[in-house]
Amino acid sequence: MAADPKMRFLVVDDFSTMRRIVRNLLKELGYTNVDEAEDGAIALQKLQAGGFEFVVTDWNMPNMDGLTLLQTIRSTPNLKHLPVLMITAEAKKENIIAAAQAGASGYIVKPFTAGTLSEKLNKIFEKMGLA
Amino acid sequence: MSDFGGMEDLLQDFLQEAHDLLSDVDNKLVDLEKMPDDRGLLNDIFRGFHTVKGGAGFLNATELVTLCHLTENLFDRLRNGELELTSELMDIIMAATKGVRDMFGELGQMVQPQPAAPEVIAALQGALSGEAHVAAAPADLSPPPASQASAGAGVNSAEPNWAELHSAVTGEVSKQAVPSELITKAETSSIEAAKAPGMVATVVAAEQQPSAFGRRATDRPGGQPTSARRAEERVRENTIRVDTSRLDQVLNLSGEIGLTKNRLTSLRADILAGKNDSETLHALDQAVSQLDLLVSDLQNSVMKTRMQPIGRLFQKYPRIARDLARQLGKDVELVLAGEETEVDKTMIEDLADPLIHLIRNAVDHGVEMPEERQAAGKPIKSLVRLEARQEGDHIVLIIADDGKGMSAERIRAKAIEKGLISEEEANTLDERQSLNLIFLPGFSTKAQISDVSGRGVGMDVVKTNIQKLNGSIDIRSEPGKGSVFIISLPLTLAILPVLLVLLGDQPFALPLSLVREILPIEQNRIQEVGGKETLVVRGEVLPVIALARLLGWPLEREPEYGVFMQTAERSFILAVDSFAGRDDAVIKSLEDFRPKGVAGVTTLSNGQIVLILDMKELLTDLGQHVDIGSAVRSLDFA
Repeated sequence: MAADPKMRFLVVDDFSTMRRIVRNLLKELGYTNVDEAEDGAIALQKLQAGGFEFVVTDWNMPNMDGLTLLQTIRSTPNLKHLPVLMITAEAKKENIIAAAQAGASGYIVKPFTAGTLSEKLNKIFEKMGLA
Repeated sequence: MSDFGGMEDLLQDFLQEAHDLLSDVDNKLVDLEKMPDDRGLLNDIFRGFHTVKGGAGFLNATELVTLCHLTENLFDRLRNGELELTSELMDIIMAATKGVRDMFGELGQMVQPQPAAPEVIAALQGALSGEAHVAAAPADLSPPPASQASAGAGVNSAEPNWAELHSAVTGEVSKQAVPSELITKAETSSIEAAKAPGMVATVVAAEQQPSAFGRRATDRPGGQPTSARRAEERVRENTIRVDTSRLDQVLNLSGEIGLTKNRLTSLRADILAGKNDSETLHALDQAVSQLDLLVSDLQNSVMKTRMQPIGRLFQKYPRIARDLARQLGKDVELVLAGEETEVDKTMIEDLADPLIHLIRNAVDHGVEMPEERQAAGKPIKSLVRLEARQEGDHIVLIIADDGKGMSAERIRAKAIEKGLISEEEANTLDERQSLNLIFLPGFSTKAQISDVSGRGVGMDVVKTNIQKLNGSIDIRSEPGKGSVFIISLPLTLAILPVLLVLLGDQPFALPLSLVREILPIEQNRIQEVGGKETLVVRGEVLPVIALARLLGWPLEREPEYGVFMQTAERSFILAVDSFAGRDDAVIKSLEDFRPKGVAGVTTLSNGQIVLILDMKELLTDLGQHVDIGSAVRSLDFA
């Protein structure tokens, strides 16, 4: 295992049960420094305030969806290097292409287990040179 | 036994949130009928099903995932303009929504849901493939099980390889092209694995994952027939959502009480040390008064945490009214008002059934058929209004329709015909009393109980349920204009204002809501009518009933006071020896031990335990001895 367990995560989802699930899975993997946001707009505010090192976001949300959040992060100078893992219920090819084009660091399909999440995270850490 | 070992908390959270989402979807569906092309609505409903599906996946609720997925796809097609919203399609959607709700019910029982009704799945699939008309056809159109399974498997079985796609799009070369292939396979969750028998490799990979939280209902050892479980075994929700500011207030007050307690402790030390100058006593007086204030504030704050907006309950009614109206070929809109009115949580749950019954009654019996309305010069669409508001220390609920109204004359005739009242009795009834006859057991204005509002229960059950909540129900009606049902309820059930009466030295508590007035009993004014003692109060002849007699106690002396009491059925004077005052009783129920006629007990300020009497129960046993004596004796330890 590589990444710092103190790494600060932001989990973005409009469904609080889902935020709780993701938070629990992260905790299972040893990451306890987790904050939550209800949609893209709130997430952006929190990210602007600084201190986050990893974003796990749902795709389909009111106000600002995950894809727009991702695009905004990538076009904001002080945020654009943040790793963003997209969560979605669909595994449609066009979705994945859209996520990749927008600069997602990874993609995970609901439902997933701690094992799957860990693999996804590790792949991203590897790419970032944290592994 | 539960299918969700270790996940009960998560399940509860999911259900609560998903229920809210579904109610929201229900309301939006009603709106959608008026504005079938509203993109925003279609989008919101799509997201509702989508979100439930996502959560259900984590609970391994496969059947719920499948149903939501199909419905969600339907809305995807609708919002993209690929399908048109017809009324047949709307019925399919409603059926699917109901299916989702039923599955929530099963999850609430900690059981994995059974597959949705095959005809619903078939209708959804038909609609998705552009054959919306199959909806009207019955179950025999249901597809063989195999095709159902493949529909489920189609949810997300073929996940594309992210690494390949990512590098194709971004031009990056993945460092570990080979292992990523394996990882992708492992991702395919156990759900698809179970459903796609061909994919052996996937099954193996999936089984290595520490996933399977839940089991299928059908896997239960010695599984009882699931249809029985599906039947309305409603479990009470025992969690509640509270605004944190209210909890903060409780915390604040308990902190304050702590401080006051410290002050009292130090004063006690002073007083025990012999310090009893006026300054110390004044400080003691102040501390006690402050405690008094704080405790009652605390009680109010705690009570407030139990208060929930009644809108939560109202939400689902427009849908019910709509469904029923459609079924009957009527055009009805249920208008809600005062949804923000707050009511005790327990009461909200207990109000659900009576309100549904009254709404069904309004739509079924109150509102006329469109032709009748047209002939009467009324707008074809009828309005049923459901309103809540707080009036002083009462909550008032109103269910009003603009239908044909009720005729007091006909109701009286009906009651006589059914043998519920005699002709003489009928003649003494005024209009309001006549309307109230519909609450008598056995009264139903239609010769046959209709399937819709009948449900085997009558208005008497509605009334009984409301009375159980210490509430009352009243009717006003104007033939041709419509009917109004007015329900009045106390704010909370936890505190009951009582009147303390004495029999000898023994106090008893009577619910103050039943007490009209207190009067002295002069023996010479008591008249015997038909062998029964009566008293005339302002022209009204009231029976005098001695409390001692109701309790089966010997009448040791002539009662000096009468309490003029009014229950839903009757008015009478309850004769007692004396009074001890009024009190706000915190009711403690007597579990396992409930003598007839006793609603509960409460503790007086001096520590004495007092029985709270249930007048209605006592009166039903009028003449028979109720063994309260032993109940009192067994409380003598106090």
